Amino acid sequence: MIRSKRPSRLAALFGVLLALAMVAAACSDSDPSDTTVSTTQGTTDTTAGSTDTTAGGTDTTAPATTTPGTEISNPGVFVHAADDEPTTLDPAQVEPGEGGETIILQVYERLLEIGNSGPDPVPSLATEVPSVGNGLISADGTVFTFPLREGVTFHDGTPFTADDVLFSWDRAMTMDLPDGAAGVLSDTVDSMRVVDDFTFEVTLQEPNAAFLNAVVPAMVSSIVSQDAVEANGGVVAGEFNEFMSGNPVGTGPYEFVAWNRGEDLQFTIFDGYWGTPAFLDLRVEIGASPDIRVLGLRAGDYDTIEADPSFIGDVQGAEGVTVDGEGLTVEPIHIGFNLKFDPADLPDGDRIPAGFLNDPRVRQAFNLVFDYNAFVNAALGGFGDFNPHYIPQGIFGYDPTAPVYDQQDLARAEELFREAGYWDEGFSISVVTEEANLFEVAALVFKDSVDNLNNPNMEITVAAVAEAVFDDAHASDPVPYAMWVKNADPFADPSAYLDSYALPDGEWGEIHDFRAGYADADRVQTLIDSARIELDPAARAAILAEIQRVLYEDPMWLIAAQEGVVSARRDWVQGYISNPLWPRPSIKFALLDKG
Amino acid sequence: MQIRDYILRRLMVLPVLIIGVSIIVFALTRVGGSPIGVYLQTGMTQEEVTELEERFHLDDPLPVQYVYWAGGVLTGELGWSGVAAAPVTDVFLPKLAATMELAISSALVAVVLGVALGTFAGARRNRLPDHLTRVFSISGAAMPLFWFAILLLIVFWVYLGWFPIGRSDPNIYARIDHPTNLYTIDSLLAGDFGAFGDALWHLVLPAATLGYGATAIIARMMRSSLVEELQEDYVDAARAKGLPERLVLRRHARRNALIPTVTVIGLSFGFLLQGSVVAEIIFRWPGLGRWMADSVLRGDQATIMAYVLFTSVLFLVVNLAVDVIYAYLDRRVVLGE
Repeated sequence: MIRSKRPSRLAALFGVLLALAMVAAACSDSDPSDTTVSTTQGTTDTTAGSTDTTAGGTDTTAPATTTPGTEISNPGVFVHAADDEPTTLDPAQVEPGEGGETIILQVYERLLEIGNSGPDPVPSLATEVPSVGNGLISADGTVFTFPLREGVTFHDGTPFTADDVLFSWDRAMTMDLPDGAAGVLSDTVDSMRVVDDFTFEVTLQEPNAAFLNAVVPAMVSSIVSQDAVEANGGVVAGEFNEFMSGNPVGTGPYEFVAWNRGEDLQFTIFDGYWGTPAFLDLRVEIGASPDIRVLGLRAGDYDTIEADPSFIGDVQGAEGVTVDGEGLTVEPIHIGFNLKFDPADLPDGDRIPAGFLNDPRVRQAFNLVFDYNAFVNAALGGFGDFNPHYIPQGIFGYDPTAPVYDQQDLARAEELFREAGYWDEGFSISVVTEEANLFEVAALVFKDSVDNLNNPNMEITVAAVAEAVFDDAHASDPVPYAMWVKNADPFADPSAYLDSYALPDGEWGEIHDFRAGYADADRVQTLIDSARIELDPAARAAILAEIQRVLYEDPMWLIAAQEGVVSARRDWVQGYISNPLWPRPSIKFALLDKG
Repeated sequence: MQIRDYILRRLMVLPVLIIGVSIIVFALTRVGGSPIGVYLQTGMTQEEVTELEERFHLDDPLPVQYVYWAGGVLTGELGWSGVAAAPVTDVFLPKLAATMELAISSALVAVVLGVALGTFAGARRNRLPDHLTRVFSISGAAMPLFWFAILLLIVFWVYLGWFPIGRSDPNIYARIDHPTNLYTIDSLLAGDFGAFGDALWHLVLPAATLGYGATAIIARMMRSSLVEELQEDYVDAARAKGLPERLVLRRHARRNALIPTVTVIGLSFGFLLQGSVVAEIIFRWPGLGRWMADSVLRGDQATIMAYVLFTSVLFLVVNLAVDVIYAYLDRRVVLGE
């Protein structure tokens, strides 16, 4: 007969201690975020159109309505689950579109910021947006004067002056880090000077219409504390500053607290902020996979999550969760045509006739082959739209009347291939892309679309590779593939897109040899150059409209879609505002509150 | 050969083995191409890429690159982790501690539950408790780890809200020092029972997930061993002496049944370390496993090499220790032959 074994005294004691310790943890009063409170009023999201006269101060949001009985997790701290971990928090080092920009947007400020809606800049550390009308832009459009805000302090307690602006911009250009975006400044600025403590003057190399909404509000143009930098390594040309890489010291509404690598980034409300202070502390959680982010949102542990259209099915209809998809990102998903590939570098089996991609009819045909509806409605779940070459919707100069490749037209595509003389000969092309994401889906839709031509001599192979392998190929010159899929870098001004993605001798123009493909490269060059220096908005818009039509006839890219901005957040989040021109997730957390 | 001489001889061979392993792994990590991709950013010019290659010596021949890496190791520099955006040496120890804390906690769960369940079932052979325990054990071994983990998350995190994910409440974690980077130990050293409870609270789900799989193996082994032991003559003798069944079980049969079970427990720790990769990803646990998974996917060679170096040394040292312990326990084993 076996008698049941009774727990020993030691085990019982251990059990009691364990229970007490866990209770102590649950009831710890060290921080308000350790507890959960019940509210008699929950919230439904109401995004008020804010009067956005300055970036820091006058946003107003409508009071939220509530849902009885809603429990708010983590009161006192706003919790966002991010997609990836930043590689740096230093404005001089961060790459456009990288996770560090998300943080820099919250902690640092710039002279001007992109407002809460639309692409227009609003005052921030500068008190006015320069214009010819207010006399802050010289008649020739090259000298910009910025009156600066007084009474602003950095998180380290030092006062903000024009010297900090000069120091910050000069620092980024002096460091000129390969992984940073110093070129945004150095390609534009000729000279800078401090007029007095609160007046800063910039002289440009040439008139630049993009300066105020693409250069000044760029993350690389953020103003850092000169004292903090000089006390921690200073400025060394070509070398990153390890301290600043992990310890941001700005003037923004959030003050940096800690960066626990692989876990979270923590910020507290900056008590000395010159504008309307943040409502809540901020914690950005790192490292949760997409599924876990969805579960965390449903559990209420996360207030907002980094989302894309593929999340919709998982969160739509979930209790306590609001999902919306208003607006579009400004990072179109595109397929690049590489006119400069070296046949010896191509994957085995690729067969590309000489001069194939140089023929505009071929590039038009590929644009007509692609099944846009399948990609937008199926892969993006309807959260996306089509856009013309190469100015995304939401950017100044976007012309809704310009022709767009937005419908599959296989018959016309076949005609163009026949006219160009490649229908019988065909081709076999590998399209390289990162594996397991929307880019791979775009490549697969492209392959299916070409298969639908029912020409056995025309073959697309999707080469889906690891991110590091893709990055290696993508950064090569020449790129060892004839086609590749990715998304564009985000910009706030059309000229930045055109310089990168359309200019014959621009960034991708040189890598892909656009000049060898454009029917009239000089005309494209002249138009883009004109748009860049034209300061009159109406005249500039007319030039941009013409460019869009030229690029429709002579496309250098196949733009699969402009992905929708998808927001998934708890119902209790108040004052939700999103602008796709802000770095992902296109949110300024200081504007948000919880019921 | 004396044990001391054997240990010295093995220790002398150890560096050669480590160098051999590191050369092989260094070469293998390059099969997929240059690791430059992990450092690249969109839109870099060719000049900028070249500059990066020069900075990380990636433009040198492979043997020269290896020498740079090995030289760095000797001076305590394991390179720059592109994934962690920090020197490998800064990140490695805290992450190792997190992984070890999880693995040890899981092992505790597995050992306590496994031995208890195995004993419970073995003492009730072919009766209902035995069958129920078998179902429970086999379920643990059969269920895919990731599926069980997500199941626990959905039930206990999303719906019931009883247990969190991650390693800690950031505010509680921040209020104590972390000399060992083992959160449970550090909280006890700080005398902060709230932090200790927080550490345990966060350990529950990942440790239960990992531990359940190992519990099954240990429980089955314990049960089988116990059934065998209970049929031995010495057990009959003990019963004949009039010892209560409880003492027969505890003092005689269970103690002997534990010997083969301990071997399985040792092997299970390896399973727990491997399984921690999945658990760390799902439970957002900031350990070596998740870091390694990211590093492999992104081709972060400095991290991969550091991890391989660590596991190689660990494996070789453990092998040496096992050989010595065997020789100590069984005098028939002659070392070095």
